[in-house]
Amino acid sequence: MSDDTPRPRLGWIDAIRLVTKRELCAYFDSPIAYIYAAVFLALSSSAFMNAFFLEAVVDMSSWFERLPYLLIVFVPAMTMRSWAEEHAQGTIEILLTLPLRSAQIVVGKYLAALAFYAMVIAGSLPIVVMLVRLGPADIGTIVAGYLGALWLGAFFLAFGQFVSSLTHNQIVAFVLAALLASLFTFSGHPQVVEIIDGLAPEWQLGSWLATSVSVLPQYESFVRGIVGLGALVYFTSMIGLFLWLTQIGLGRIRR
Amino acid sequence: MAVDDVSFSVRPNEIVGFVGPNGAGKSTMLKMLSTYLEPTSGTIRVGNANIDTDPVAVRQQIGYLPGDTPLYGDMVVMDWLRFVAGAHSLTGEALGAAVTQVVDTCGVGPVIDKRIHQCSTGFRQRVGLASALIHDPPVLLLDEPTHGFDPLQVMAFRDLLHQLKQDRAILFSTHIIADVEAVSDRVLIIDHGRLLADGTLPHLCDEAGLADPSLELLFAHLVSEIGVEGV
Repeated sequence: MSDDTPRPRLGWIDAIRLVTKRELCAYFDSPIAYIYAAVFLALSSSAFMNAFFLEAVVDMSSWFERLPYLLIVFVPAMTMRSWAEEHAQGTIEILLTLPLRSAQIVVGKYLAALAFYAMVIAGSLPIVVMLVRLGPADIGTIVAGYLGALWLGAFFLAFGQFVSSLTHNQIVAFVLAALLASLFTFSGHPQVVEIIDGLAPEWQLGSWLATSVSVLPQYESFVRGIVGLGALVYFTSMIGLFLWLTQIGLGRIRR
Repeated sequence: MAVDDVSFSVRPNEIVGFVGPNGAGKSTMLKMLSTYLEPTSGTIRVGNANIDTDPVAVRQQIGYLPGDTPLYGDMVVMDWLRFVAGAHSLTGEALGAAVTQVVDTCGVGPVIDKRIHQCSTGFRQRVGLASALIHDPPVLLLDEPTHGFDPLQVMAFRDLLHQLKQDRAILFSTHIIADVEAVSDRVLIIDHGRLLADGTLPHLCDEAGLADPSLELLFAHLVSEIGVEGV
């Protein structure tokens, strides 16, 4: 032993950066990440191109409108291994006995997933270049759309990681996160709202779910080019809630 | 309850062997000492740090090798060691020196550029030990540290423990009685979550009225006293 002076602890930023870097390297060390990105971009872009050539409109709204439905599957596929694999492999024991706070680990893992998601979404930028070259594209609306896509993904990643922290089984994590994503998405779909409202017209449950729970109205404001305070409050509070729940879940396994 | 009413201390320059049958509570005890599990009652102190009030300070002072050596299989050994060193606030030259030191001490040089899943069980164990030692901790907690070692590696590990003992408190659990007899200054025997014995082997054998200071006989004597079958 060299000396008895306690070493200084890592600051919050350094600790989060350390975990984020490890997690991000883990994403890119696996071929699955590249397959994931390729399939996501192929599906999202092919659906857009179809609409683009049929409607001949120089904007990206149809790409952004389809995004929530794609993310119902793609984000849970990203997050399912996040904590469930740590539980299954036992590496969580090593991770939680390093001199880091559990909140730093939760945020570090989350930011790595968010960075990977942002890189995948950035893979669609050639569409923007194409639109700008083809005609007068509304750059402001496109930028707002990308901001919305980031917030939407950030929200899905937060509850995906929370669900993954509850189980050892990646398939269970995937299915539960996809169900939750479906709930948050379809509860704002006009047809679903209409059906639920029709079941008990006096309660207007469908409308309440759409305005209070669903992510769609918040996200669609970005797609229309509006960056509203209400949407920002919705996304930040929901992300904060699920990250906090993930940390609480980690505390549970210590008992 | 996995562990009940267990009280002991380990001092610097001391190697304590933690022995007990499967399910006795050895690993649970080490998990609590490492801060992974929270005890429902009682107090754990490591140095001046209390596990309830400052678990991060406890983690700074311990090097922990969990049972089955869980490691990130996809990581390269060097990256893993650098990650753990970084978590212990080591940077720059200090980090490089710490990595070089544990690579040398634990003999992981031959696998330093390999991914962990490509390492044999013995090398995985050494990598786990290297990461537990990288911050030069005053307390070492090792759960079944010789698991997966061949006889030569076991002998080398015993020598290593003697070297590491300098200014360190070392607590290790094992099923292998020969390991405990070879390296321990003191023995803790646990069963059904209760501490049955705590002391040096000759002293405990004397107390038990055994002619030979044999841990095997002492273990069988103590465990049969409380009516456990199959030992």
